[in-house]
Amino acid sequence: MAEVQTIHDVACGFCGLGCGDLTVEVEGRDVRAKGSLCPEAARLLRRLDTPDPMARVAGEVASPADAARAAHQILAAARAPLIGGLGVDMAGAGAAVDLAIRFGGVLDHYASDGLFRNYAAVQRTGWLSTTLAEVRNRCDVLLVVGDDPTATWGRLFERLYPVTPLFADQGRTVVFLGGAPGDKAKGQLAGAAEVIHHATPDPVAVLEALGSLIAGRRPPGENFGGIGADTLAGLAEDLRNAHYAVVTWNAADLADGDLVAERATALVDTLNVTTRAGVFPLGGRDNIIGVNQLMLWRLGYPLRTAVQGQASSHDGTLYATQAALGDADVLVWVSAFRPEPPPAFGGKIIALAHPDTVFDKEPDVLIPVGTPGVDHAGTVFRMDSIVSLPLGALRVATLPSVAEAVRRIAEG
Amino acid sequence: MRLRLKGGRVLDPAHGENGVASGTVRDIEIEDGRVVATTDLTADAEYDLGGAVVMAGGIDLHSHIAGGKMNLARLLMQEDRRAFPEMPGNFCGCGGGRAVPTAHATGCRYAELGYTTVFEPAMVGANARGAHLEMADIPNLDTGAYLVLGNDDYFQRLLAAGAGQEQVNAYVGWMIEATQAFAIKIVNPGGINAFKFNARKMDLDEANPHYGVTPRKVLTTLIRAVTELGIPHPIHLHGCNLGVPGNDDTTLATILAAEGRRLHLTHLQFHSYGTEGDKRFSSSAARIAEMVNANPNISVDVGQVMFGQTVTASADYMSQYRNRGLASPKKSIGMDIELDAACGVVPFEYTDKSFVNALQWAIGLELFLLVEDPWRIFLTTDHPNGGPFTTYPHLIRLLMDRDFRNAQLATLNKAAQAHTLLAQITREYSLEEVAILTRAAPARILGLTDKGHLGPGAVADIAVHVEDADREAMFSTTHMVFKNGRLIVKDGVVVELAQGTTHVARPEFDRAVDKDMQLWFDESVGLKSKHFRIADGELRGGAGPTILKCEGVAS
Repeated sequence: MAEVQTIHDVACGFCGLGCGDLTVEVEGRDVRAKGSLCPEAARLLRRLDTPDPMARVAGEVASPADAARAAHQILAAARAPLIGGLGVDMAGAGAAVDLAIRFGGVLDHYASDGLFRNYAAVQRTGWLSTTLAEVRNRCDVLLVVGDDPTATWGRLFERLYPVTPLFADQGRTVVFLGGAPGDKAKGQLAGAAEVIHHATPDPVAVLEALGSLIAGRRPPGENFGGIGADTLAGLAEDLRNAHYAVVTWNAADLADGDLVAERATALVDTLNVTTRAGVFPLGGRDNIIGVNQLMLWRLGYPLRTAVQGQASSHDGTLYATQAALGDADVLVWVSAFRPEPPPAFGGKIIALAHPDTVFDKEPDVLIPVGTPGVDHAGTVFRMDSIVSLPLGALRVATLPSVAEAVRRIAEG
Repeated sequence: MRLRLKGGRVLDPAHGENGVASGTVRDIEIEDGRVVATTDLTADAEYDLGGAVVMAGGIDLHSHIAGGKMNLARLLMQEDRRAFPEMPGNFCGCGGGRAVPTAHATGCRYAELGYTTVFEPAMVGANARGAHLEMADIPNLDTGAYLVLGNDDYFQRLLAAGAGQEQVNAYVGWMIEATQAFAIKIVNPGGINAFKFNARKMDLDEANPHYGVTPRKVLTTLIRAVTELGIPHPIHLHGCNLGVPGNDDTTLATILAAEGRRLHLTHLQFHSYGTEGDKRFSSSAARIAEMVNANPNISVDVGQVMFGQTVTASADYMSQYRNRGLASPKKSIGMDIELDAACGVVPFEYTDKSFVNALQWAIGLELFLLVEDPWRIFLTTDHPNGGPFTTYPHLIRLLMDRDFRNAQLATLNKAAQAHTLLAQITREYSLEEVAILTRAAPARILGLTDKGHLGPGAVADIAVHVEDADREAMFSTTHMVFKNGRLIVKDGVVVELAQGTTHVARPEFDRAVDKDMQLWFDESVGLKSKHFRIADGELRGGAGPTILKCEGVAS
């Protein structure tokens, strides 16, 4: 039997919050996380000592070399590949861009809807934003728009509300505007902040009215999104009096996330005339921020960009996965962090996939890949696009990384 | 591998060699990527230069080429990318943009101008890993980055608590090593921090609203730290009150604050504004140049404004927020960052019909022409803040050709023309002086002993230009560029991509500080210090950095 090895300060790259204090027990190929961690990290870090699945071509077990060759042939004949999923570390992202340059193709991440809802605001007007450590120490009034984000970022309020912040030590308030905070959020905030909840089905209307009130204009009406005008006037006053107010939301989870982003941006702009404030948009699943960063410096465009004939072009609508699938003849599905299955697609599929992925339809080529931060080292960005974390290997890799797999495909 | 460049007129100011003036031609020999003394041995390749001008590869000591703020600029200014698509003959379909080019385009356009080393002057510690990843994707250039320090809450807290210089030195040493930085940059000393506490301006002797620390204290403490740590490049300072009319007094006071110690004032043009005239905006270039001339401890780069569309990106959120109303197009981004620093991204269009922009242009040129010692002034546009680096050939002609300069001046805003003494300045830069400004002097101020010259032992980064009386044409199309002895540009076109290295400084410091850093990151930043630290193997795709050891007095 292998000995149990305990590894401390393990960094986690799944949800985008970038926790770095996990403890993991490794016993041979068996991996389990311990102690303070969220359910998602516990689930995705858990690995059993089971043999890896083999590469397959048309459902038949194939050698890595044969699988790479088959993928190469499909791509060489492809007219319009879509390189999707893109749940990859930075080395994998670079490899995916290389692949698009080599064979042509549209690049998009499977969780990019929220990002592009936010871009509706940031690309039109820009915004004034902030990062985790600033919220953690400065924010005295936090406005959480939409549903309690704890379901997605299990330790969000624990990270944002330490016992002893550097500055915001004269009372902190968290205002939930939308869904009610759950027990987990309340537990993490207990003793650290006063929690207020204003239920509303229409946060856009509420943010708009709040923006007017902060600017000193009383909008006509007595009720905005189900919240009384006087209540909102009080909230506006609290925001104006805050030293450092922050507005946070998860655009992926809000049907009109683009409008929420726009109204939150406008509200924060108004606040900054007299005090300090910032937006803190939530997101970052499976290194989407890092992949997007790399595309910006490599191609000059964010996700949803097509590379064709040694030139790239960007279109946030046309090159979104669902739309691009309509024009694509090959889907290269890349998901190394979790067993995210590819979307339904009639063309050929090359899957560089997490070994536990369950497919509705057998891919034409399946190459199981290792997970960054479990099987091999890598780098991921946190949701704020500033901080990135080095992920270490927890066990000896038996599967290739995405970067290695792509290199083999390129070589054919 | 032995190469021979035959019959060039060598311009190597570091060794006092001026083949252009003397008319002498000679060979340069390269062995395994380094310049060596000439031999009679057979070369693997020979290039006949036919009397062309041979210089060391250009070194830009201040150009924003990587880091989160550049990506924010790319995100905000997609129109810049669309307006400047991939160039013909591109290698990989990943070049484009002018004000904020992609990594690939940055490396190719710089190489085409004969530049082979470029320093990113504002790397934020929290974003250092990302900046290094981005730099690794820039072809053809060696790079390095200056760490932004002085506005971080750790440092402000140290000063407020009256920490000793040894403690500060240990912290600075730890941060340089952890972030793989080459030098220390201070941006608006303490001002970015003060803005987080809602201060809107910060003068040299104004106290931080929370810590009570003044910019003067930040500056003098960090000047002492880099001196005692033995970091070759002096403090690289973006001073207080950027862009504010009347900031000339602050700049003069800042020079005095250095008390004779080495200090580099960056993009001085943006800090040379007076309040004379009916528009309350005037040139103080003459006053400031006089002060620079009188203080040999001071070096400067200009941050010349060039007309056209660009986007400004700076860690100076306080100033960028103040200037956001001037954005063109009307959009801007600001961000407070990680108890560390901040950034602001504001698109600008500098127009020659604008009084302010035209005068900014003239102020920059006045500085170039009135600062006498070419070893203490460097050619920059603060890319992309004053204009993209691709305008350098035009800027060089403005410096070298008085008639051309005056002809340009005559087309500008009339009121601005009346407010500048540029037309009366007769100085024209010589080719040798341009070689000093763009090669020899930056290598010296950066402490890069094997760059910026062509003596034996030098890195074989070499630019060959065919002489042309039209200096803009001459510097626009480089005849040949060698990177580590490999031909990467021929007749102005990139013919091969080279992988550069990243320069880092590695000072000795008291490692006992590590315990306190762990505590700080754990409790305040909410990040493990071990994850903040960047390992050597994370640079340049595993190749690691090129390390410059520092011989300081701190232990």
